[in-house]
Amino acid sequence: MSNNRVSRRQFLGYTLTGVGGFMAAGMLMPMVRFAVDPILQQHDAGDYVLTDKAVADITEEPVRVDFTYEQVDAWYTSEVTNSAWVYKEGDKLIALSPVCKHLGCTVNWGGDPENPTQFFCPCHAGRYEKNGQNIAGTPPLGPLDEYQVQEQDGFVAIGAVRENTLV
Amino acid sequence: MHFNSKDIDLYAGQKDYVDTAVVPLIELDLTDTGMKASAGASEYLQSLTVILEKQFKGRILLLPPISYARAADRSQLGQQLKKELSETAFKHVFYLTTDPKWRAVEELDNVLWLPAIPTGDMDQSFKKSVMEDQLRQVLPLFTKEWTHHS
Repeated sequence: MSNNRVSRRQFLGYTLTGVGGFMAAGMLMPMVRFAVDPILQQHDAGDYVLTDKAVADITEEPVRVDFTYEQVDAWYTSEVTNSAWVYKEGDKLIALSPVCKHLGCTVNWGGDPENPTQFFCPCHAGRYEKNGQNIAGTPPLGPLDEYQVQEQDGFVAIGAVRENTLV
Repeated sequence: MHFNSKDIDLYAGQKDYVDTAVVPLIELDLTDTGMKASAGASEYLQSLTVILEKQFKGRILLLPPISYARAADRSQLGQQLKKELSETAFKHVFYLTTDPKWRAVEELDNVLWLPAIPTGDMDQSFKKSVMEDQLRQVLPLFTKEWTHHS
């Protein structure tokens, strides 16, 4: 055996430190895991709904893109279809919500023959610019909301709705 | 807007803008032979009115469907509905139905009669395109009424 023999006192010290260390780690690890969990959550793919519209088909002219997701309303689960007006600005995809900021009707691109390059709300003749900016003098008081949007495998994927960031 | 407490709260403050009521009229046929067709017609009319409401949410109030027995007296029912609605602030009232007997009833104006399409057996995407097609037939009737009387 070697010269530096481990004394009984040292042996007990090492053992207790080791076991204590394991116990402390056992308690701290879950706490640390809970604390950092929100950071580790995956956000990119899950919240986006894939549509059947190819990104290559999107031009600078807004087109309607429908997307469907499941909505649970108390005990009633239903499939909800929503749509978005999607167009390209340069290479950037932009998706606007079709919900009029006045009272919630559905707006159409070019719905008013006199203003073919604006969004038009048929209910009370509200109008919006292409970037969603509401036109003064028409009933809406704010710009159209915007969807988060990205490309997934060549198709348009639509995410959460947020306030318009373009105007 | 739908006929629920949340939308009615909103309606109460926006009566000037929400000036149109939509009343679906549905005949109940509970005989063995007629039940399926009746259910299909009801399904069709309710899907149609829901997408109509989505399009015109800020201008129409969609009332719950009025369902009545086959033998119901249409003209009496029409009178009662008309009276109830005449006491409201609505400027326009549309009645939507698939029941051909309403065509002979003269008490009501603006009865839109639509032939029921059995959408129950269609798959989702086909059904959706059919319903949107139907909606496109109905929309001009609304916008025409609005531009005429406003």
